[in-house]
Amino acid sequence: MPVLNTRVNGKTVQKEIKPTTLLVAFLRDGMGLTGTHVGCDTSQCGACVVHVDGVAVKSCTMLALQAEGADIQTIEDLAGDDGTLHPVQQAFQKHHALQCGFCTPGMIMASVALLSANPRPSPAQIRHGLEGNICRCTGYQNIVNAVLDASGQLGG
Amino acid sequence: MNRVKIGQSVPRVEDQRFVTGRGRYIDDIDFPDQAHGMALRSPHAHARILSVDLSEAQNLSGVLFCFSGQDWADEGFGPLPTKSAVRTNSDGTDFKEPPRSCMAVDRARHVGEIVAFVVAETRATAIAALELIVVDYDPLDAITDPVAALQPGAVQIWDDIPNNLCIDWDLGDKTATDDAFARADHVVCLDLINNRVTAAPIEPRGAIAQYHTDSDTYTLHNATQNIHANRDIFATNVLHIANENLHHLAPDVGGGFGAKNGAYPEPALVLYAARKVGRPVKWINDRSESFLSDTHGRDQVSRVELALKGDGTFLALRTDSIGNLGSHCATVGPFTISGGSARTQGGPYGFEAMHYRGRGVFTNVALIDPYRGAGRPEASYQTERIIEYAARKLGFDPVELRRKNLIPPERLPLKTAMGLDVDCGNFPHVFEQTLAMTNRRSYGDRVTKSAASGNARGFAISPYLECTGGSPKEFVKIDFRADGQVDMSVGSQSTGMGHETALPQILASQLGLPLSDITFTQADTNATPLGGGHGGSRGLELGGNAVFQVANAIVVAGKSVAGHIFDLPADQVEFADGRFFVPDSNHNLSIREVIDASLDADHLPDTIDPQCMNRNSTFERGIISIPNGCHAAEVEVDLETGRVTIDGYWVVDDFGTIINPMLADGQVMGGIAQGIGQALLEDIKYDPQSGQLLSGSFLDYAMPRADHIPTMEIGYYEGAPTKKNPLGVKGAGEAGCVGAPPAIVNAVLDALQEFAVDHLDMPLTSEKVWQAVKGNVAK
Repeated sequence: MPVLNTRVNGKTVQKEIKPTTLLVAFLRDGMGLTGTHVGCDTSQCGACVVHVDGVAVKSCTMLALQAEGADIQTIEDLAGDDGTLHPVQQAFQKHHALQCGFCTPGMIMASVALLSANPRPSPAQIRHGLEGNICRCTGYQNIVNAVLDASGQLGG
Repeated sequence: MNRVKIGQSVPRVEDQRFVTGRGRYIDDIDFPDQAHGMALRSPHAHARILSVDLSEAQNLSGVLFCFSGQDWADEGFGPLPTKSAVRTNSDGTDFKEPPRSCMAVDRARHVGEIVAFVVAETRATAIAALELIVVDYDPLDAITDPVAALQPGAVQIWDDIPNNLCIDWDLGDKTATDDAFARADHVVCLDLINNRVTAAPIEPRGAIAQYHTDSDTYTLHNATQNIHANRDIFATNVLHIANENLHHLAPDVGGGFGAKNGAYPEPALVLYAARKVGRPVKWINDRSESFLSDTHGRDQVSRVELALKGDGTFLALRTDSIGNLGSHCATVGPFTISGGSARTQGGPYGFEAMHYRGRGVFTNVALIDPYRGAGRPEASYQTERIIEYAARKLGFDPVELRRKNLIPPERLPLKTAMGLDVDCGNFPHVFEQTLAMTNRRSYGDRVTKSAASGNARGFAISPYLECTGGSPKEFVKIDFRADGQVDMSVGSQSTGMGHETALPQILASQLGLPLSDITFTQADTNATPLGGGHGGSRGLELGGNAVFQVANAIVVAGKSVAGHIFDLPADQVEFADGRFFVPDSNHNLSIREVIDASLDADHLPDTIDPQCMNRNSTFERGIISIPNGCHAAEVEVDLETGRVTIDGYWVVDDFGTIINPMLADGQVMGGIAQGIGQALLEDIKYDPQSGQLLSGSFLDYAMPRADHIPTMEIGYYEGAPTKKNPLGVKGAGEAGCVGAPPAIVNAVLDALQEFAVDHLDMPLTSEKVWQAVKGNVAK
């Protein structure tokens, strides 16, 4: 079996894996990082979004071996080492931007990437930018508010 | 978060784990030595199963156990029963319930029905083994349309159920309704379809079964909404074991909306498989299987008729609806097309008489069971569409026609013509409150502006009447621990609604305890002896009132403990703001001090039980409560593309007492989004000849995305808390998708007035609207 050399949440990882292993399966089953979720089988729902070299990626669309040499970040690594939540995580809680929580890790990772590409997005840009992430619970409004707040645009 | 009150938007405690990826959903759980199960599902909508050859699959390395429907039948397991509360036809005869075996034995009746099951070392091996199973099918003609299925000579799904008719049921006064129609000045009639949709919680269904050889008992971790009732079904009805020998629990559940409410075959199959292989067996549905095998919602074909006086006063409403049940009765099954859709017919309007007839019909498609609202969205759609249609046909202003017919508060309490007990509310106030939010004064300007850019603008207002439902009893248990923690165990269940915050919030507010002291447990048959789970917007109505009730019992017990400490009779002790005290004295103790004293058996007299403050309580609902409200929508239709944009959305809800406004808003917004999805986008579509599912993935089934959903403005009317329960709550969970579909459809049809489009069936996709604009509407 080939060996994957990568970094996951800041730690160097070297692991033998089957070449057909998807990145999401490697993270969940291989690394025990179950915060990244699987909600569909057609790369539509976005529950599996992680960052690969700082870019939001649906980890079900990528073979783990394609992450050779990459830096992968998952939801588990977003908060500070002392447990302080990332501003986007804080905003999601403050604005009730999650209900069942299943889409939330992917939604938060997508939102963080959206803000790093566009630090002050308009509500329309947020809605467009999160089009690849399906939430069945919230109706999205509070997610938009959370992202606006995390970008410092709501005041208060 | 320390001191909290009822009515406060307390942030959710469960979010801490959800935003950090530490939620624990079914697929995040693994047990040592766990095996994996996968189902082989019928590729045919209707076929005789001549043989199932498992030998090659069984010989694949890593396969532990395979079984067919016949193997399952040979074990003698029972079918999954329907628990529909309505079980008789209007002529008094019994409805027809065909046996719903967990596996198809000699005939498959819809695509996705389970034909065989494989257990293997890994999921990949199980999937590979499915490929090796050889099933000899003899395909039969299939039928997917419930109206066609009722016709003589139609394909028969069940040999002993003529015309595929499961139930033919009615409610209301038929004679009075016919009489009102006979003397009406106006009668309008509309045929409409409430499209089949699927709840599609983002977490697919899944379960893990363990069999404990020593005790001959089972543990089932299951992504379900209804732990106790489904435990009883799996144990009593299917496996024929004692209920207490099945420990059923749900971890975090990633959304349900009704689709995880019923008892499904797969958990029963893994229970059996776990015993046979002597190892834990995990099964997780993938999304494609979910589309095929989750219960779907709605799917009614209806004729609605409205009788009016010349001045627009409503006289009577007549609805005749045919519900497509799928191939079998699901757990709630025929209730949705009967009682579920009948009760709120007519909405918050006055009628002399109403009559509802519902027929449930079997076809070769997946089963129907509750989806958020379960009949009330259908009733609201039927009522509001016929009113809008009548207004257009007869030349009434749709706003005025509704205003004229709303039941005024002075007529409450009343029993509707459908027998619904409406105790309180102020429908005209809620209507005007909604209308006032919609900037009607500048509406004309917006119409002009839209027209200038080649678009058409439309508006609709849509009051709704709701009722709660679900299991009528709820249990809560409170244990105060010596270390200061408070354990709360409840039988109601959140699948995202926030009970872990809202129910402790009620206890904390009543007892003056810090919210952070309370540890919450739900969805575990070992934690509570009974539990009604989730469904029918019952979380606060049942669970919340159970907590409120137990808090009162704790205060009573605490008074006896405090009285002992104060050396005074308990009836002189009062309680407020977390303190037991005797007025005009220096006797004053915090609840924590009294709890600590109550746990200190050595210093209590024999007359006081040291467990006396550890209370449990069962709350039983008397009469269901009546949430109500009003939605309004403004839409813009791009006449070149048919694309509908929702430009404004307003809603006012009367949910009685609001416990946590932030959570209530969340329920409303999520429900509206699902209603908008049904109105504009979502459609479970089967090929009418083959019975193949055409919208079987998120590529084909259009889920609402962030840019489909508008900003919603939400208001509440809190002037009418119900007296049907101590908290005064009315239930908030389903109202959003009860009100939204007619508001959206009526607004789009308003925009299309100049194109003489009388009616369009949901979903109003761009193509459908564009065809209507081009005059290509099938009449």
